[in-house]
Amino acid sequence: MSQSADTPMPANANEPLVLALPKGRILEEAMPLVRAAGILPEAEFDDPDSRKLRFATNHAHISIIRVRSFDVATFVAFGAAQLGVAGNDVLMEFDYPELYAPLDLGIGQCRLAVAEPAEMVATDDPRRWSHVTVATKYPTITQRHFARRGVQAECIKLNGAMELAPALGLSRRIVDLVSSGATLKANGLVEVEEIAQITSRLIVNRAALKTRPAELAGWIERFREVARAA
Amino acid sequence: MTDAAARALLPAGLRDILPPDAAIEAGAVSKLMGVFESHGYQRVKPPLIEFEESLLGGGGAAMGPHSFRLMDPVSRRMLALRPDMTLQIARIAATRLGHEPRPLRLGYAGQVLRVAGSQLRPERQFGQAGIELIGSDSAQADAEAVRIAAEGLAALGLTGVSVDLTLPTLVPAVTAALGLADAKAQAVRDALDHKDEARLKGLPGAETFRALIKAGGAADAALAKLAAIDLPPLAKVELERLQAVVAAIRAPAPDLELTVDAVENRGFEYHSGVTFTLFAKGASFELGRGGRYRAGDGNGGPGEPAVGVTLFMDTILRIAPAPPAARRIYLAPGTDPAKAGLLRAEGWVTVAALDGADPQDQAKRLGCGHLLINGSIHSL
Repeated sequence: MSQSADTPMPANANEPLVLALPKGRILEEAMPLVRAAGILPEAEFDDPDSRKLRFATNHAHISIIRVRSFDVATFVAFGAAQLGVAGNDVLMEFDYPELYAPLDLGIGQCRLAVAEPAEMVATDDPRRWSHVTVATKYPTITQRHFARRGVQAECIKLNGAMELAPALGLSRRIVDLVSSGATLKANGLVEVEEIAQITSRLIVNRAALKTRPAELAGWIERFREVARAA
Repeated sequence: MTDAAARALLPAGLRDILPPDAAIEAGAVSKLMGVFESHGYQRVKPPLIEFEESLLGGGGAAMGPHSFRLMDPVSRRMLALRPDMTLQIARIAATRLGHEPRPLRLGYAGQVLRVAGSQLRPERQFGQAGIELIGSDSAQADAEAVRIAAEGLAALGLTGVSVDLTLPTLVPAVTAALGLADAKAQAVRDALDHKDEARLKGLPGAETFRALIKAGGAADAALAKLAAIDLPPLAKVELERLQAVVAAIRAPAPDLELTVDAVENRGFEYHSGVTFTLFAKGASFELGRGGRYRAGDGNGGPGEPAVGVTLFMDTILRIAPAPPAARRIYLAPGTDPAKAGLLRAEGWVTVAALDGADPQDQAKRLGCGHLLINGSIHSL
């Protein structure tokens, strides 16, 4: 009890700051913004063979972690990372109350959509649905979307290759991210309904924003400037 | 699963609290209650279970989805387990203590139970300790609740505490002035809950809401930014109240870290004015929350003005520094009871021998750092 009460932290102490970034496609679009904002990771960050998961930066107290896109939201929601980059598909799926998404970075643009086999579209009458089976990475969004029109959605959770599901009889419909539509087309699927437009947001942990307001608001502003300039 | 393992399994969100944590929690609660009592808050103790319609009536309706319910075989009425204690204190103030002079200051501590934890905070049962100040509508009363909560946390050795002041009535005042229909107002609410400016696109008043989001932060700067935003008259009234509360906290407690967030709303289901949330550096979750509400509005009347604060013992104890453990001493067989009593009076914890086993071994096995043998103390 005595120790921490007697040695208050100096006001200018740099507490550790962790920035969580998603692996893959969005990372490539996010890194120019991160660098423009003045956060430069160590050289190993760009080495595809590196097995490191956490990287130092040019700021002694800032480190970058590279995790799967769904995990970015989880790390930031639990306060393990203070800042992150995540698509609003991930944010809508989890709806974590501890996350703020104050800035649309305008990267990772695509849409979340319902798709079904081309031959089904002709005969299908959505007004008669009472329940549908859907293969998706987004069971929560899917259920909420269909519930809004009084349809019960039974979701089969997949982590990738949703487009295979209809052809192999797993489900007749899928809910997935669509950017050009080429993958759908190659698998004989047609987009029938858009659920949401998706872009990546800068996300921030709620408790961190409340307890370190000046510092985190400063980073949000910095990212806002570079995103506007990009 | 073995039999023993099956018996150890508890329902999700419930747990056994073991030594030394159970004692630390009890100590922390009594320290908090001491702070509350020293400011004139007298303790009350409501029951665990109440009639559903009285517990969850009026402002309590918002807590309905969080409550366990069961049928009372005696009255054959539906009962609810308390999901929160503020509702009960408000009921006591409106009924049994309705004739007491106002302002009425009451304190409480106890366990609450909720139907579901969240993924982030899975606990379904946790301890609450808090105060309610009933019958005053002044900004001074709001400030008193904030200051006493901060004083309580400081008494537990917490540092880096900050108070986030919020106005759940501000956004509804703006949406009402804009004449937004329920669906649009809800869309605004959803966007503001995540401070997600992009989701405001195309909604009426988006510019105002965007400015409100940006005005969050350290209290003085935030209040200046908020004052510059063009707001409808009702929202201005709310804002002036917030300014008065900040000034009333600042006067006697200038060092308390204050932030302002004009768009925060979550968790303030039954509140009617300035609300606040307590955070600390290093804690991922809030330590407590409180604010202004109408006490006793479940009885059909308007109720009376009240302000309160509830501290969450589970999140507080996760980051509170552990108090120093008491020194334990093993009493060898044949120790003079009077001598043992003297040691306890000096603050020792004594562990008495029950048989003739080697005292040295027993002392070590039972976690005693000292041994009393033949009238003298040996350090081990």
